[in-house]
This record gives sequence, C-alpha cells and structure tokens, in this order.
Amino acid sequence: MLFYSFFKTQVGQQVTVELKNDLAIQGVLESVDQFLNIKLRDIHVVDPERYPHMLSIKNCFIRGSVVRYVQLSPSTVDTALLQDAARREAQSTQQMNQAKPNVAQA
Amino acid sequence: MSQLQPYVDRKVTVVMGDGRVVVGTLRGLDQTTNIIMQGCQERVFSEDEGVEVVDLGLYLVRGDNIALIGLMDEEADAAIDLDNLKAAPLPAVRH
Amino acid sequence: MADTAAALTVEEPLDLVRLSLDERIYVKLRGDRELRGRLHAYDQHLNMVLGEVEETITMVDVNDEVQTQSLRSVNRTVPMLFVRGDGVILVSPPSRAA
Repeated sequence: MLFYSFFKTQVGQQVTVELKNDLAIQGVLESVDQFLNIKLRDIHVVDPERYPHMLSIKNCFIRGSVVRYVQLSPSTVDTALLQDAARREAQSTQQMNQAKPNVAQA
Repeated sequence: MSQLQPYVDRKVTVVMGDGRVVVGTLRGLDQTTNIIMQGCQERVFSEDEGVEVVDLGLYLVRGDNIALIGLMDEEADAAIDLDNLKAAPLPAVRH
Repeated sequence: MADTAAALTVEEPLDLVRLSLDERIYVKLRGDRELRGRLHAYDQHLNMVLGEVEETITMVDVNDEVQTQSLRSVNRTVPMLFVRGDGVILVSPPSRAA
C-alpha cells in the first residue's frame, strides 16, 4: 500500500515511465490503482523517431507489471516523509506476518 | 472503479507483450486487464516497407499479455500516412 | 522484544533493507542493469524509491568478423527513481556500495 499511496501523491506531476520493452513515455500522472497500473495524459514517447507506433495517442493506461522504472521530479518527493512511511510499513508488515501461523513450521 | 472504464467504446491502440500493435474498439474489461476489442486491426511495422494493416476481428486479450492501452485521437490517427511509416517492430516485454 | 531492539536487529532479509534507509545502496536488476542510489522507500516486493541514482547497463557487442565479444557499459543518472521490485535480483547495503 506504501507505493500506491505514494503514487497518489504524485498525481498531476510530470513523470517518465520506462517499460520492460524499453519504451519510455513521458506524461502527466492522471491516476494509479492498487496494482500500480498507471494512467498518463498528454503523453509523448521519449524517442519518437525510433518508436512512431503511438503517434495518435495522448492518453494511455500502462499495466503495472510492465513498468521497469518511473522517473520522478525530486522536488515533488518529501524523502524524510517517505522514509518514515517505509519504516512504518515495514513494522506493520512484520506484525501482520507474526499474527499469521508460521506455515514453515507446520 | 476501473481506470479503464472511460476508454470503453473508444478506439484504442493496444501494445501487446510480444511487441505487436493492435487497434480496435474497446468493448469490455475486467480487474486483471483482460479486454475485449472489436474490429481489431494489427499494424505490422517494418523498417523496409510501410505499415501493413491486417484485419483480425473480435479479440479477447489476456491481461498478462498487455503492456499498454492508448486512447486514440481519431483525427490525428487519420492524418498518419501508414503506407510510408517505417519503423522496426516494438521489442517484446522482457520480465 | 522491545521496539527499540527490534528496530536495530536483523531477523529477516528485509530488515537489512530497512537498515539501509537513507543510505546509498547497490541494486542488481534483470537485464544486466545495476543501480547505485540513496534508498528512500521500499516495500515487501522490493519496490523502491531511490534518489541520486546512477544506472549502469552492460551490453555485449559481438563482432562477427573476428568472432570476438566485448562488453560495453552505458551510464546515466536519474535524480529520483521508482524501481519495480519484480526486476530486482539483489540489494547490497552501503559498505559495498562505495
């Protein structure tokens, strides 16, 4: 849930999504869902000469599973807040695992 | 609500996991991005010749094999000279 | 165990990642990619946000005429990067990250 929440704070920001097929797409983050599927608007591909396959597309949905990277603008990221959130997430994930019966010992 | 709902009944370009590009009208979808597309046409890109358009009909594409779904601007699309557009096919997705 | 002690000890692999928060780490990825950057966030899938990232991609150039292969690496920097966890092969904490 950490990164779902994080990406929600990035809605409206300019991002570059790099896919696992090496295509890189720049656009404004419109929305994100729990699978980290991403919707972008006002897009352009980073290397249009090589990738003219999406010339008539201004808005797109990218499946989360094909994302390699998302480049973000550093000024929009509160790194201290993010680190605190990561520590809290680690703690709550650990507590959840401890609450479950240990399958490995069964 | 699905992020793709606003794309339903609109003309879309789908980039598949194997790099194929298919255009058609999005008719339905589910949670896992399985989609139904009507009036599908594959656009086969090559470096030597223009884009070849192949009629495919009605497709159900499994979500796992979808990389991207793009909403097409039909006016902008009509202005593209596919016969003279040359480019290597898109690479496949490598997980 | 007291919360303070739990925060400092390594009981499971991801604890090592937690202790690397705000440190520069090394990440090896699928597709002959390597990253060095400051860890700002991670989750149980090893999704991460890294800052001041240096990426190295290693490619093999094959010369057919003389039947040789040479390694070529391409570097780039990215100020702030989300990395999807499914591509991560390993994470190494600061001591090795130089």
